[in-house]
Amino acid sequence: MSAPRLISNRTSQQSTFNSDYTWEYEYYEIGPISFEGLKAHKYSIVIGFWVGLAVFVIFMFFVLTLLTKTGAPHQDCTVTGRRCLEISPLPFRSSSGNSESSEKRFRMNSFVSDFGRPLEPDKVFSRQGNEESRSLFHCYINEGEHSDKAKACHQTTALDSDVQLQEAISGGRPEEELNRLMKFDIPNFVNTDQNSFGDDDLLISEPPIVLENKPVSQTSHKDLD
Amino acid sequence: MKHIINLYENINNTARNNSDCPHVVLPEEIFFIISIIGVLENLIVLLAVIKNKNLQAPMYFFICSLAISDMLGSLYKILENILIMFRNMGYLKPRGNFETTADDIIDSLFILSLLGSIFSLSVIAADRYITIFHALQYHSIVTMRRAIVVLMVIWICCMCSGITMVIFSHHIPTVITFTSLFPLMLVFILCLYVHMFLLARSHARKISALPRANMKGAITLTILLGVFIVCWAPFVLHVLLMTFCPSNPYCACYMSLFQVNGMLIMCNAVIDPFIYAFRSPELREAFKKMIFCNSYH
Repeated sequence: MSAPRLISNRTSQQSTFNSDYTWEYEYYEIGPISFEGLKAHKYSIVIGFWVGLAVFVIFMFFVLTLLTKTGAPHQDCTVTGRRCLEISPLPFRSSSGNSESSEKRFRMNSFVSDFGRPLEPDKVFSRQGNEESRSLFHCYINEGEHSDKAKACHQTTALDSDVQLQEAISGGRPEEELNRLMKFDIPNFVNTDQNSFGDDDLLISEPPIVLENKPVSQTSHKDLD
Repeated sequence: MKHIINLYENINNTARNNSDCPHVVLPEEIFFIISIIGVLENLIVLLAVIKNKNLQAPMYFFICSLAISDMLGSLYKILENILIMFRNMGYLKPRGNFETTADDIIDSLFILSLLGSIFSLSVIAADRYITIFHALQYHSIVTMRRAIVVLMVIWICCMCSGITMVIFSHHIPTVITFTSLFPLMLVFILCLYVHMFLLARSHARKISALPRANMKGAITLTILLGVFIVCWAPFVLHVLLMTFCPSNPYCACYMSLFQVNGMLIMCNAVIDPFIYAFRSPELREAFKKMIFCNSYH
């Protein structure tokens, strides 16, 4: 079946256009469609389609919600110890050079507000550069830090992975995320200045993450651009 | 595809014999308003990214690509409405060479916009996926140069495909190619996002997970995917029904809602900046700076 062939079947009174011109206009002029003898409602495709679409979207939402609820949130690691070292696929992102601290703050604040989590942004996110209060590793490693950081860590660890996902999905900048996360020391990372990143400047390809229990230095974060 | 796209021009000119399923005709003002809003929003996104040096990262370029394709879609609708208005007022001949050429051009604009949207969304999802799963290599995988090259390749392919599809729009393989892009891309994006979501969930399980935070993640994903599906699927189904069962009364009744389906695509262009671009705080900041600086000067 092709459109031009249908033209020959059209009734001429329905079209005011020339038959040698736009076949596409006459494509619809294939004759009156008879609506007799319909077994189902005439809008059944419309209704069926929209109901199916709504069911699909709701089903997708429930699947995603159930995915969040399955599995008890057990805690293998406590904040206290190095035995909680978690090296594997933490989805932190590489940092760029040019993230402003206020932007980071703002960004974290907005994500906090997105999550509806009543964290005090100042306490948790207001620090720059070497502040690792949001870092998962930090929570595990830097138990020597002073107490309010640890407390903030406690509060923020739950937020981290979701925040990362939310940031990824919501369009946060990858580099800032890693900047925040890698603020403590990861000695094998090559560090440069914060502003010296080129785009092809991957300083860390596959760093073995050696987590040490020493306070964060300047070194760790500028890394991963 | 031209016959699909030009359908509602036909409505104004011929007496339809589908009295049992009358075509739903939306006033053109609604199309105009929605299209203009879409153009303005996406233009704001583009300007915010262009004017701010710190937003010139691959991720924002992909969002810009989405904004461009949405803008093209809205522009298409505006141009088409203008052409129809001129034709109804008698300034244009219904059959002239200029009109057919103009029709062809704006139809290829439409298909370019659709394909651009599809590929931009896929590329955004892939970029986020690499951000999550290859975080340490992100900046070596997604460099600015590669991002620009990928975007150029995508847009050149879309342009060629758009022109090809318009030329061969009455052939069935064209229609099948076009309509199969939609579910393919949907499955691709769904897999990427669900995988990202599962990772977040598995991390959340190891620490004290906030059910509310996870719910927020589920809501975000549902919105992203749901808007895409709801805005695009009706039109894709229309194209399929148009090709395979044009004279079936059930199909005809579905196709009588063509203008509503078209409007959903326009709405997609309006909604996309809110769920992609303006979710990024940096871009919101840049946008506010732009607005307030402009109002001060």
